[in-house]
Amino acid sequence: MILSTLDGHDHPAPDAAVPGQPILELKGLEKKYIGTHALKPVDLAFKVGEIHAIVGENGAGKSTLIKLLTGVIPRTSGEVFWDGKPVALATPNEAIALGINAVHQEVVLCRHLTVAANMFLGEEDTRFGMLQGRTMVQRAQKIIDDLGFNLPAHVMLGDLTIGQQQLIAAARATIRGTRFLIFDEPTAYLTRKETEQLFALIRRLEAEGVTIVYISHRMEEVFELASRVSVLRDGTLVGTRNIAETDDAELVRMMINRSIEQIYHKDHFEPGETIVGAKNLSGKGFEDVSLSVRAGEIVGLYGLIGAGRSEFVLTLYGREKKSAGEIFWNGKPANIRNEHDAMKLGMALAPESRRDQGLCLNLSVGTNLNLPIYKRISSKLLISGAQEKSHAERQIGGLRIKTAGRHALASSLSGGNQQKIVIGKWLNHGAKLFIFDEPTVGVDVGTKAEIYRLFSTLLSKGAGIILISSYLPEVYELADTLHVFRRGRLVASHAHGQASHEEVLTEAIGV
Amino acid sequence: MTTSTETTPIEKPKRNYNILFGLTLLALLVLLWIALSLATPSFASGINIANLLRQGSMIAILAVGQTFVIITGGIDLSVGAIVGFCTVIVAMLINAGFPVWLAVLATLALGVAIGLFHGFGIVKMGLPPFIITLATLTSLRGIGLLMTNGNSISIKNDAFSEFSRNSFLGVPNLFWMVILVAIPAYIFLHHSRWGRYLFSVGSNAEASRLSGVNVNRTIYLAYTLSALCAAFVGVLLASRIGIGNPTQAEGWELQAIASSVIGGTSLFGAIGSVHGPLLGAFILATINNGANLLNVNSFWQRIITGALIIVIVYFDGLRRRGK
Repeated sequence: MILSTLDGHDHPAPDAAVPGQPILELKGLEKKYIGTHALKPVDLAFKVGEIHAIVGENGAGKSTLIKLLTGVIPRTSGEVFWDGKPVALATPNEAIALGINAVHQEVVLCRHLTVAANMFLGEEDTRFGMLQGRTMVQRAQKIIDDLGFNLPAHVMLGDLTIGQQQLIAAARATIRGTRFLIFDEPTAYLTRKETEQLFALIRRLEAEGVTIVYISHRMEEVFELASRVSVLRDGTLVGTRNIAETDDAELVRMMINRSIEQIYHKDHFEPGETIVGAKNLSGKGFEDVSLSVRAGEIVGLYGLIGAGRSEFVLTLYGREKKSAGEIFWNGKPANIRNEHDAMKLGMALAPESRRDQGLCLNLSVGTNLNLPIYKRISSKLLISGAQEKSHAERQIGGLRIKTAGRHALASSLSGGNQQKIVIGKWLNHGAKLFIFDEPTVGVDVGTKAEIYRLFSTLLSKGAGIILISSYLPEVYELADTLHVFRRGRLVASHAHGQASHEEVLTEAIGV
Repeated sequence: MTTSTETTPIEKPKRNYNILFGLTLLALLVLLWIALSLATPSFASGINIANLLRQGSMIAILAVGQTFVIITGGIDLSVGAIVGFCTVIVAMLINAGFPVWLAVLATLALGVAIGLFHGFGIVKMGLPPFIITLATLTSLRGIGLLMTNGNSISIKNDAFSEFSRNSFLGVPNLFWMVILVAIPAYIFLHHSRWGRYLFSVGSNAEASRLSGVNVNRTIYLAYTLSALCAAFVGVLLASRIGIGNPTQAEGWELQAIASSVIGGTSLFGAIGSVHGPLLGAFILATINNGANLLNVNSFWQRIITGALIIVIVYFDGLRRRGK
């Protein structure tokens, strides 16, 4: 292999694999978590020297597949064959030893080390146990120049842009005897020029017989690079196509779940007064967004991850500062300086990440349920134990939170039940506007249905709901008004059922 | 509904965990006392027990304040220095002719001010708790030395000096002070919303903020209470030794942290109690006292204390992880 001789290392020369022969074969590969079936049995063969694209919506099982292939998580069942021989792929080291590497969307390298140090991390040049800094910088520079990246090898990685770091991560993966390289949305942060450089690298690897798995939302990239494409949907491999024999219309159709299940139960209510309005609101990560929510309606925000939806609602809720525009509450301009002001007006936020923003995991279920209302259930100094108990137990009963009791730790509950705690604490607080940011991520179908039914209950009491979801069928079926975000802007709005799935997805991706 | 009919085995709640751990520590303390009474006749004497209680009391009060801070996920390295500094302040005020009650109140107010400064450094300046309290540790010692020119100040007030040496109902006054601190501390931590907020901030500050908890105010509160406890101990120490000296209480912050940790407080925050650090402080005091009586080289006392911290925290961690 050109690159492995180039870096002067004696990597074991790959067996003379014949292009077109399968290198990695999956037979019935499957992954189950408690409560969710992340990947249903997949049969798929990756061939030597092909660029194989994998597309699918968020939550379709792409990340699970990558984690299985790189040995980050163990599989539940099924077999994997490498070069015809069965392999366990139980640890990341095993995958790396075979020659399987991944370049992730987020750069997982050390920002405070130099580019060269990062490239040889774990395989440093040493003489008598001393690092050969200068040699490594020279070797790294040679590799970088050879790839045509025009980047210095001696600077701190953190001084480069995210896109440049991504290129370094890709270069790093190529010098380790890699025979199978996975790119997970590599162009998300790249400029056009950087993307071209990356594509040149990918084509070069392909020519050397490296198998490339390319995961992307961007259809044009798939058609530019890939020779074959596989589509995942809801953890199922829907199909694999030769790129010449398909088009984006077919792929989008395959990506979308046609069978809308009964779970999207929705009662319609006559919309009332406008509760909250944003007028030309701008802030960190989004610009010039105007929308409003009326009593009794669900307003859905759809978009890819990073499109600015969460940033928008966090600003509405006072967590982030707005840079321009106005927020109206009940028709009057509202000055929301922090979360406390938002709560006082009557907003409630069930944030995107239960673990990081939603719950105090090592505290009890009861404490979590009462957190927003301790002020109300305290007389002067002391918390009323009776009220604390009754509020907690009302929600545990009403939402059917499966727990050993209100004293159990929140961390002992399943994902779906944890989500119910996050919702339950806002029911305790009581609010006019409920913001749900990805409320059903990692939640099983039964709990999903319960959460949707809960939406109806809230609406019937005259509340309004903002629903953020990256899962199109969910917002599509539930929202009375659907707003589509792309790259920080609100690009389209539809009334319920007015646009097709294909149109909405196209607007979000921007093909 | 499918989910409600499923029968998944559910973990038993760990509601009695705190009490159980506390009982284990209490058993350890009693065991130590029995063993020492058998090993040396002088241990169980009234004088020695009173002495032991006095030794443990001041660290115990510091440990309670320290625990509030650790529960929020922080650390307060300055408490030893505050104690030393406050002996100087209270000594100077009394010698300047202020009534004792006013001198004590002013010293406590100074403690509050130092705590607020810590909160300011953490919340407004964004400094890590370790750094801001390390900075006050060294500078308070320095300021105290400047004020006294490196000398001790003898307190010219016998009533004040006798307080810490006297007893009430056969129990040393210093130990009564522990009770005076511990009861309100217990009510505050476990039965007031501010106590609950200490835990929630230590568990997940972002989730607390999004739930409307005033995270900044909670942090101010924790450091203020810790510094207030330290200032109180400063007053007690000045009374006990009858002098003001800024180099006193060297290393007490580490003993307070050790007591807290032995008492089951998690340095990662969100786990802790009031009885735990109290027991921890008296276990440490007993070890030191026993070692003295048994004529064990004082260097060994330090080694034993270190080993004990490792053993207790290791077993506590094992139980928390594996039940």
